[in-house]
Amino acid sequence: MKKLTYFPGCSAHGTSEEFDSTLKLVLKTLDVLLEDIPDWNCCGATSAHVMTENLAYALPMRNLVLAEKLENTTMGIACASCYQRMKVTKVHMDENPELARRINSTVVEEGTYHGSVEIKSMLQYAYEDIGLETIKSKVTKPLTGLKVACYYGCLLTRPKNITHFDSPEYPVSMDQICEALGATATDFDFKTECCGASFSISNTEVVESLSGKILEMAKESGAHAIVVACPLCQSNLDMRQPDIEKLQGVKYGIPVFYFTQLMALAFGYPIDQLKFPKHIIPVEGALANIGKVDPSAEKTKKTTKAVKAESEVQ
Amino acid sequence: MITLGTQGKNTFLEAVNEKSGANVLECYQCGKCVGTCPVSQYMDFPPREIMQMIKLGLKNESYMANSHWFCLTCSACSGRCPREIDIPAVMEAVRHLAIEENYLNTSTKVKEIRKFHEIFLSMIKRYGRNYELRMMAEFNIRTRNLFKDMHLAPKALLKGKIPLGVKPLKSAKAIRRMYAIAEKLEKKK
Repeated sequence: MKKLTYFPGCSAHGTSEEFDSTLKLVLKTLDVLLEDIPDWNCCGATSAHVMTENLAYALPMRNLVLAEKLENTTMGIACASCYQRMKVTKVHMDENPELARRINSTVVEEGTYHGSVEIKSMLQYAYEDIGLETIKSKVTKPLTGLKVACYYGCLLTRPKNITHFDSPEYPVSMDQICEALGATATDFDFKTECCGASFSISNTEVVESLSGKILEMAKESGAHAIVVACPLCQSNLDMRQPDIEKLQGVKYGIPVFYFTQLMALAFGYPIDQLKFPKHIIPVEGALANIGKVDPSAEKTKKTTKAVKAESEVQ
Repeated sequence: MITLGTQGKNTFLEAVNEKSGANVLECYQCGKCVGTCPVSQYMDFPPREIMQMIKLGLKNESYMANSHWFCLTCSACSGRCPREIDIPAVMEAVRHLAIEENYLNTSTKVKEIRKFHEIFLSMIKRYGRNYELRMMAEFNIRTRNLFKDMHLAPKALLKGKIPLGVKPLKSAKAIRRMYAIAEKLEKKK
């Protein structure tokens, strides 16, 4: 059994509870034991770094110091924004010991920061540490027939010098995971476009415009559903979808899954454990495609592979 | 009339470079950042123009622009910048300097964006974590827009998409202490 330090993030207890609970199901099957950081705090998200430098580093650092007290070498983070803030903090502290000392003085109660824990997003952990072959070997109910647009957003692969993972322009890790589950990943151009992120509340019209384009492109790519690994992307694309439809005068009806929900489904977990009733856009229509034979599916699959081959050549 | 601030030393450029760790002078104005930026159409001055304004020492104009408030830090621009300039870090440096030096952009949109971030930070200060429902409610109250997103509420609450409560930290005191020390450090600079 592998052990992994786990940072759930605030939304795991709120808007993305289905991400958290299906991640736990999936990792149980994959024989990974999660150890929560005891009494973890909010990473500061967008707001801390927008307003002030010190808190933007101090809030993540408290978690990093607490994580060092557990004995695991790696920490897995579910939320893309938490992942980004923690990783930025670690990279900047590694580069600048003077800054690290200054920030460390704000988290006196927890102890000294060493920077000894490696930070990965759960998508990265699934792709690099578990691997496609292992994932494939656990599939009992392949998602054959389901066409998905894998949407990564900004923070999982960018900036390159912080994340060191996949491609900042056309990532393929989630596509390959979905294909390992038996689904077909469509050739989707808006994989790393911004959904509007933290403007969800304060600047909703921007979110509706940006997320609207992503929904439009996903539909265009022929996808039945969008797959994400970020709570804010999920809520912007799912919860705001009815308003976007009204605004654009179109009907998308595209459900937005966490990749862990699809993994749990393919691993054979019963549907009532996957928290589908939490979705604003109903999922049943998309899931009805599983098992159907689609003559165009093979062709789309080749396109994705061709693109992958092309990027490898480059 | 705009007067250029660079009689002799461009102290604004130096401050931005130091804070951001970038070198704004490396920008050769190709405009790739503008084409890439998902929100450049909402900005008073798109990223390319802000870069030039910094080079020219236009401090007031840069501080008062809404551009750095609209930047979502998506890093699409810096990923494509042929000079590999960390443009989001430059935007952030301008914003932090503007806040430190009390330059207030009073447009409704910027005020709302700023209010949102302040409320979010106050949630962390109080609970150690974000209390989503309370944050949304406070935002509506403090921006005097009580019914914003209310049409989403029944579904979101019934489906448990947004929970009613929050699990606060056991050591919430540690967070408040962190805030106090961080604020002190901020003033020292």
